[in-house]
Amino acid sequence: MILFGLALIILALLGAPLFAIIASSAMANFYMADIDLSVVAIELYRLAEMPALIALPLFTFAGYLLGESKAPQRLVQLTDALLGWMPAGLAIVSLAACAFFTAFTGASGVTIIALGALLYPALKQAGYPENFNLGLITTSGSLGLLFAPSLPLILYGIIVQQMNLDQSVTIDDMFIAGILPGLLMLLLLIGWALYVNRKTARPLQKFAWHKVRAAVRASIWELPMPFIVLGGIYTGFFAVSEAAAVTVLYVLIVEVFVYKEVSLKHLPEVMRDSMILVGAILIILGVSLASTNYVIDADIPTKLFNTIKEFVSSKLTFLILLNIFLLILGALLDIFSALVLMIPLLLPIALGYGIDPVHLGIIFLANMQLGYFTPPVGMNLFIASHRFNKPVMQLYKATLPFFFILLFAVLIITYWPSLSLSLLGR
Amino acid sequence: MSQAPNNQGNRLLQIIARIEDTLLVLMLSAMIILAGLQIIMRNVFQSGFTETDSLLRILVLWVGMIGAIVASRERRHISIDILTRYLSVNARRYVDVIINMFVVIVCGLLATHSLRMLLVDYAGATIAFSRVPTWLLESILPVAFCIITLRYMMFSWQSIVALIKARGQA
Repeated sequence: MILFGLALIILALLGAPLFAIIASSAMANFYMADIDLSVVAIELYRLAEMPALIALPLFTFAGYLLGESKAPQRLVQLTDALLGWMPAGLAIVSLAACAFFTAFTGASGVTIIALGALLYPALKQAGYPENFNLGLITTSGSLGLLFAPSLPLILYGIIVQQMNLDQSVTIDDMFIAGILPGLLMLLLLIGWALYVNRKTARPLQKFAWHKVRAAVRASIWELPMPFIVLGGIYTGFFAVSEAAAVTVLYVLIVEVFVYKEVSLKHLPEVMRDSMILVGAILIILGVSLASTNYVIDADIPTKLFNTIKEFVSSKLTFLILLNIFLLILGALLDIFSALVLMIPLLLPIALGYGIDPVHLGIIFLANMQLGYFTPPVGMNLFIASHRFNKPVMQLYKATLPFFFILLFAVLIITYWPSLSLSLLGR
Repeated sequence: MSQAPNNQGNRLLQIIARIEDTLLVLMLSAMIILAGLQIIMRNVFQSGFTETDSLLRILVLWVGMIGAIVASRERRHISIDILTRYLSVNARRYVDVIINMFVVIVCGLLATHSLRMLLVDYAGATIAFSRVPTWLLESILPVAFCIITLRYMMFSWQSIVALIKARGQA
């Protein structure tokens, strides 16, 4: 059995599809426990029994659609008009625009490709140092992960809901909990941008109402969207799944019929592309439902908790170990696989140490956000290296200061629970 | 897709790919339209259909599984890609064969056992909602895993051919 597990790990590291790895480990465990293997199929079918899950395909498609339109340009134009007057204006514009865009598109690398292509040359032209620009864009690719309606926040809510805990966690809770930690990250990075460019960075331009008016006019159809979606969710007018449907319909109408930037002919391709990602995520979620079923049946979280408890008595030490573990995990695994695999194991243990499930979710995602650009394998490092045609080694170096700043933010988020929980009154 | 035995085989693969893509797009469109209607029904007419809710949830499963089929075809499944970067071209050929055959075995098993689940529900004539039998809704699982298995059988064959060719040249 240990040999089999080892073989699976090696296969996973060699690039075997993760869903096959998880499915085979689940089947092997059920087989050893003399449980009929059709239980794996029954668990997979539970994908059809999660009402909130529909938000995943819908938001993913909406995000892809936005990425295909000229919404990124308009977003930059608008943030530029609003924030460009500040010192290091363009850097701040980049950070804010990227965070916003990532929240709406899910951190799947779209931000670097869609916004990075606009911002990188602009930053260069404005005289910012090259490595600063590269680091900024690469880091921004996952900034905004903690803001609604990002996919990982939704997925965490879904996973916790189907675990049937005593303490409930809704997706809405996660949306609210992410606000302050997300803002903290954003503000720290803005501070860094101001510091690095304190001598050179001049404001892009003076604040001008006519620019704001022009930018608002250009994006007049997209402007209501965040208010409808976020307002709808935060006021409880829409369930998350409904908000997802409204977003898709709204984005479809605006980009296809009003701005006409995505043609009807091109639409099926965008649908297909986005659903490939959804399929890849859902099949992993499905087979991990089966492996989780085994894990819980065999009482593994409790056993793990008892073992860890012998060595780690304080909550603080546990949190430190958790941070180290999640940083490594985030560099190795993509955020979606990490969520579906680790949350069922980690959450019961964290609850044992008295950590709020909402807080754990924010800690987990904040660490994973860092993992996107943790050397040597963070995904966004490679996307940026490919996109801007720079060696990966240069990106390692360029992102390093950003990494430490966000690491600092992650530590604050981890050891200061109220930052995540106060808005919820938990 | 370059290793297809002949032109006809190639065309067949293209047709299958077209069908998969079309189904995927249709399912997502249905999902968007139904979800939109449901909101209108609920907020304007104060009445939602529970059937629509069930249908939407089934559509999520179907979109997911068909998406997984297409992801298999385009080799876009999520995987950890750490070691492969450092492997030699030659070692990578061996690894390809092993991984493709591994997926064939796993998906073959998944297809078999989801078919067994389907047969149980077929024999029991269980109803999911309205008059829709459960087995019909479940059918996407064995079908999808069958197609993924076949797809990876093809990949396995291609990777074995590539390996043999490379060894022949060495």
